[in-house]
Formats: sequence, structure tokens, C-alpha cells
Amino acid sequence: MKKGMKNLLLSTGSLTVFLLLWWICTDILEIVSPRTLPSPLKVFTTFIDKLTNKNPDGGTLIMHTLSSLRIALLGYGMGIFFGIPLGILMAWYSIVDLFVRPLFDLLKPIPGVAWVPLMIILFGIGLLSKATVIFISAIVPCVLNAYTGIKQTKDVHIWVAKTLGATNTQMLFKIAIPTSLPYIMTGMRVALGQAWVTIVAAELLASTIGLGFMIQQSRGMYRPDIIIVGMLTIGFLGSFLTYLLGLLEKAVVKGWHT
Amino acid sequence: MQVEQERHIKTAVKCEGISKTFETKRGKTYVIEEVSLEVIENEFVVLFGPGQCGKTTLLNILAGLIPPTKGMVVVNGKPVISPGPERGFVFQSVSLFPWLTVMGNVEYGPKVRGIDKETRQKKAQYYIDLVGLKGFENAYPNQLSGGMKQRVGIARAYCNEPVVMFLDEPFGALDAQTRYLMQEELIRIWETEKRTVLFVTNNIEEAVYLADRIILLTNSPVRIKKEFVIDLPRPRDYTSEDFLLLRNTITKMMDKTL
Amino acid sequence: MIVNKRVQSSAAAAVSIFMFLLIWHLATRFSELGNILPSPIEVLTAFFVGFVVPVGTHTMFVHIVWSLSRVIPFYILGSAVGIVLGITMGWYPKAEAVFRPIFEIIRPIPPLAWIPISIVWFGIGEGSKWFLIFLAAFITVTMNVYTGAKVVDPVIVRCARMLGANERQIFTTIVLPSSVPFIFAGLQVGLSSSWATVVAAEMIRSSEGVGWIIISSLDVNDTVQTLIGIVGIGTVGYVLAIIIRGIESKLCKWNKRGI
Repeated sequence: MKKGMKNLLLSTGSLTVFLLLWWICTDILEIVSPRTLPSPLKVFTTFIDKLTNKNPDGGTLIMHTLSSLRIALLGYGMGIFFGIPLGILMAWYSIVDLFVRPLFDLLKPIPGVAWVPLMIILFGIGLLSKATVIFISAIVPCVLNAYTGIKQTKDVHIWVAKTLGATNTQMLFKIAIPTSLPYIMTGMRVALGQAWVTIVAAELLASTIGLGFMIQQSRGMYRPDIIIVGMLTIGFLGSFLTYLLGLLEKAVVKGWHT
Repeated sequence: MQVEQERHIKTAVKCEGISKTFETKRGKTYVIEEVSLEVIENEFVVLFGPGQCGKTTLLNILAGLIPPTKGMVVVNGKPVISPGPERGFVFQSVSLFPWLTVMGNVEYGPKVRGIDKETRQKKAQYYIDLVGLKGFENAYPNQLSGGMKQRVGIARAYCNEPVVMFLDEPFGALDAQTRYLMQEELIRIWETEKRTVLFVTNNIEEAVYLADRIILLTNSPVRIKKEFVIDLPRPRDYTSEDFLLLRNTITKMMDKTL
Repeated sequence: MIVNKRVQSSAAAAVSIFMFLLIWHLATRFSELGNILPSPIEVLTAFFVGFVVPVGTHTMFVHIVWSLSRVIPFYILGSAVGIVLGITMGWYPKAEAVFRPIFEIIRPIPPLAWIPISIVWFGIGEGSKWFLIFLAAFITVTMNVYTGAKVVDPVIVRCARMLGANERQIFTTIVLPSSVPFIFAGLQVGLSSSWATVVAAEMIRSSEGVGWIIISSLDVNDTVQTLIGIVGIGTVGYVLAIIIRGIESKLCKWNKRGI
């Protein structure tokens, strides 16, 4: 049997075994109480149900998902809009680098979550505070990666441009920025992951809608099945968004990379 | 006289009807076609010819790194089916273990074969001295120049006391000056510690300088075109009449294709 | 005047941070912002005072120790398991085939999203926090090490084979050492992930720790407390990162890696 086929069977097998064990422990042997761990079948039926059912937390799965997506993408969009140019400027103009970089290094070690209470104090519970926190967590990877990308510009290319009479601005736009594109795309991907994590975190703490809110509420209402549905939805959406961005990355950067 | 000499001649490497083919959409492509050759003990044979992959593939087959599609290789009386310590190999690309020092690299072969520390370190030190790197035992590869790295590669292969040494364009990545020096060094090392050597190169000067015998190969597919015996005394002079005559003769016979 | 580059950047850093604090200070003194935000002087004073005078029931120092005591042991445990699993998955295709599908489903779920289910399973005490930290470290480290083990240089492997190493020796003398840079990359990211997770977990359910400092500041409406919490979290996170980087530079002398 070919190696590829063998491994595919192993993968499918292990997944099946995992689901079977889960099912056996819950529904059949009842080792675990359904209040602690629901069976995979229950998770599935709850998923279907929750798509349209507002109980018990006041929103359907779709409503929560859209809310989370909306705010996450808003903060993310702002983050890349400001972060990428800032990173580029920092790398190209050493004056900016000298003065802005230390502030960034101060911000970097603070996890996005930690900003939530401060934002609540400033802006109350609502869209603005959540979007701001996401903005802060998304901007850092964008700046860092754009910065690294510009710094990769080969001296040789700069010298060629100079001998051809290019101005500083022209070199920035025609050489440095294209060189940095793969890194910028990586930064956008990391920032997306961060943004998604942060929206969940913000919703766990202070929200009345959203996937994070949903799983938090479900704990208080003894509905672990909704928690698991929520977790899987969060995971799936995170993957899916990253996948979409990956397609964009491929389209933009195809064939450039040395 | 002649009878006595014949009794001492022993075949180190012998191969019969070696072919290597690849299956493509258009059918079978021959990379190597029906190559048979024989190398005597302690002979320095150079495989020479234009082009990139064919010679390396042949060398890899002779050393046991890849299997032939047809034919058999015998080294020291035993058939070759896999890589092993009796066939030392020096690769073209840097292949030192970056996390080990020079000493660590050179003693690696004896170490994995279970030789005790004192014996193997003494042996490794001998070969490190032999290749002219005394004093660099504790340096890491990233601290060495290209020429030095290749010398470590040679010492490492030698230290395992192989029956045959295979070298695949080891000096290809070096600058011209270093290349000349390394050629001289290699002959000095080889004359101190005689081994059977199979050496691949596409540089005619290098071939004539080093070889007892040059096997001229064609490219795509690789076949033996002609053999030249070089019986100039060593050390050889790149500018002597005999040298230049041989060089021109062989160059004229070469396939002028890429 | 030849100014050493390092002196130059340190000076610029000092100026820049000073300007930032100055603007902050002036803004709180002379504008509406002062009603909501405390001045930097208040924050910094309170931060250092907090080491002597308790914030809530413990001093700053004790809170930090609480958070660290949760993170460090389970970060180490999670990383250790992650290293083993990552290398195994990266080098042995069968192991990869078995573990990868389950891993790929779990991986995109951020550790934070596990908080509710973790509390259901382990209660509101320490257990749930330990589980989350373990998870954060484990997932990140496995991913990084797995990627690293998959890209072991095949030429180097061939060299080792040629020199006479058997399969087990190739694993211990080639695959493991060449994975070390990736292991450290994983450890760095895993640490910041674990640190963020413990902060979040403390914010949601705990009675001490740096995360608690921030969230409880909302209850007592003490903005100074919020900010000293942030300073504390940032400082400890920064120090931890430096420690890991220090260990790496000692162990990886042979590898010149960027930041």
C-alpha cells in the first residue's frame, strides 16, 4: 500500500477513534456526567439548534458570530491601516525609528487582554472599548513585521536605484515596499490571529453579545454543550479567516520570493 | 617486474552497466546509460564533463546514496546497496553539523560507531592537523571560511577511515585563489594518507591537476566518452607544456552542450 | 563628535519615553483627561508603594509571585510535552498521521476560549488555571517544534548516514540538535501566550495575582490600580522574555539568529 494512502488511513482512523472514545465515555458508559462533558452527538444537535435558537443567552449562534466578526474586523482593519505605514516609516526614516521604537518595546510585552479594564474605564462596555483593545493587539505585529520587511531591502538594490537617479521617496515605494510585502503579509496574518483571540477575551470579560460572551454565559447556565459549540466555532472561524488571508497572500506574493 | 606489480593491483570500485532512468509523462528518460568502470586501489580518478546533475547522480550511485535502476556496484568486493562508513563522501554544499565544533564534526563517524573517546579524539586530532586546521578544534562552522569548512568536511570523511573517498565538486563554491590552494592541499593530504578517490568536477584544470585518470563523460544521458591516463609527475605545474597539451586535448573532445 | 550608536539609541529612547510621560502628565493636569486618568507620577509612585502597602489583600510582590507560581511550573510542563510531541510528529510520518488531525482541530481554538470549559471541568480554583497555562504552552511549542523537525536538512541527514549513524542515532544526534532553534522560538511565543492566558484567567476568576489587580480595580473604581496592574504585567512579561532569550544565547552559540 502506498505510503500516502497508509498515512491518510491512519489519520482518519485516529480521528474516528477519538470521536468514538468521546462518545463511549459520555453516552454509553456514562463515566462523565453530561453536565461536565456532553456527548459528541449532543454537541452536534446543539450546534444545529443554536443556529436559530436565542436561548438561553439571548442570541443565536449566527448573531453572536456576526457580532464578534464585525468588531474583530473593525479593530483589525484599523490596526493594519495604521500599523503597516507606521512600521514602514519606522524602518525607512531612522529618526522615526529612534523615537517611536522604544515606545513600542514598552507596549509589546503587555497582552491585549490586560488593556480591557482600562478601555472599559475610558469608553464603557461596548463596541469602542472592544475595538480599541483589538486595535492595540493587531497593530503590534503589523508594525514589527512591516519594519522587518523594509529592513530586508537589499543594499545592492538601493545602490542600483541611486545610480539610476531615484529619489528617496521613489526608492521607498519602488524598492523597499515591494521587498517588504511578504513580511507585511505575515504580519497581517499574525495580527489577524491576535485580533481574533482578543475579541474572544474581551467578550469573556465584558460584553452582552458575541461568541466569547456566549461561552461565558453558557458556563453559568450549565450548558457545556453550547460551550463546546462555541469553542469549535471560534476555532473554525479563526482558521477560515487565516485561510482567506493566505489566499490573498499567495495572489500578491506569487513568484517574488527569492 | 610486471608480474609482481600485477599481483598488487586490487580493484577498489567496480560497476557494470549502471543505468538510471526517470519516468516522465513522455516515457523513460535516461539520466545515466550503461556506464561501466573500474577503479584500482589508491587510484585518483576524476569524473569530468559538462552539465550539472548527471555526474553527481553517478557519484551518488557509486557511493550507495541512491540506487541504480539497472546494474550493480561493487566496492572492495562487496555489493553496494546503502550509504555506509566504508564509502566516505564530501558533499558540494556545506554539510557540517552546525551545532558541533570542528572536533565534534570530525570525530562524529567514529563516535556513532562506538569507538571510545580517547582513541577517536586522538584520531580526529590527527586528521584535523593533516588538513591544516590545528588550533581550530573548538571553532564552530559559522566561524570558519568556505575553504576551512571544506577541509573539515574532508577530515570528517577521512577520519572514518573509508576504503573509498567520493568528492562531489567540493571546491565549486570557493573563489579561484582558494580553489588552487585547496587542490594542492588535497594532493598533499592524499599522498600522506593514500586512499582510493573518485572526484567529480567540471573544471578542466582541476581535473588534469588532480587525476591519475580522467573519465570524460557526456551529459544527458551520462555515458563514458573516453578515458585519459594522466601520468605527469606530482606536484603538477598548471602552465607546463604537457599540462596544457592534455588540457586542450580533453577540452576539444568535450560535448559542447549544456 | 563620534557618538556610539548604542549611546545614541539609548539616549533617544530616554528622550522619547520622557516626552511620552510628559505629554501624558500635562494632559492629565490641563485637560478633561485628568478626570479619568491619573498622572504618570501617581501611577509610578503607587506601583512602587504597592510593593510595601498591600493592594487588596496582598502586596504587589505577592501578587506577582502568585501569578508566576501558576505560570512557571505548568509552562515548563506544557513546553516539555510539546517538545516531545512536536519532534515526534515532525520526524516520524506515522506519528504525524495519527496526531495531526486532532491537533489541527484543537490548535486554532485560542487558550482563552478554553476558560469556561476549564472552569466547568476543574472548578474555580487553581486547577483550571494550571490546565489553561499547560494548554497554551503545549499548543504553541508543539506547533513550532513540529515545523522545525520537519525541515531538518536532508543533506546533513545523508552525511550522518554516510558516516555510519543508525536511525536512532540520527534522531538523537541530528534531529534533536537541529530542532533547538525552533524549540526556542516556540518557547518564546509559548511564554507570552502562557503569560497572557494566566492574566486573562485571573481576570475572570481569581482572588489574587496581577490579573486580579486589574479587574478588581473596576470594582473599587481605582484607575491608578488599573494602571499599576498594567505596568506590573508588562514588566514581568518583559523580564521573562529576556530570561528565555538569555538562555537561548547561551545554548545556541553556534546559531546566529535574529531577534
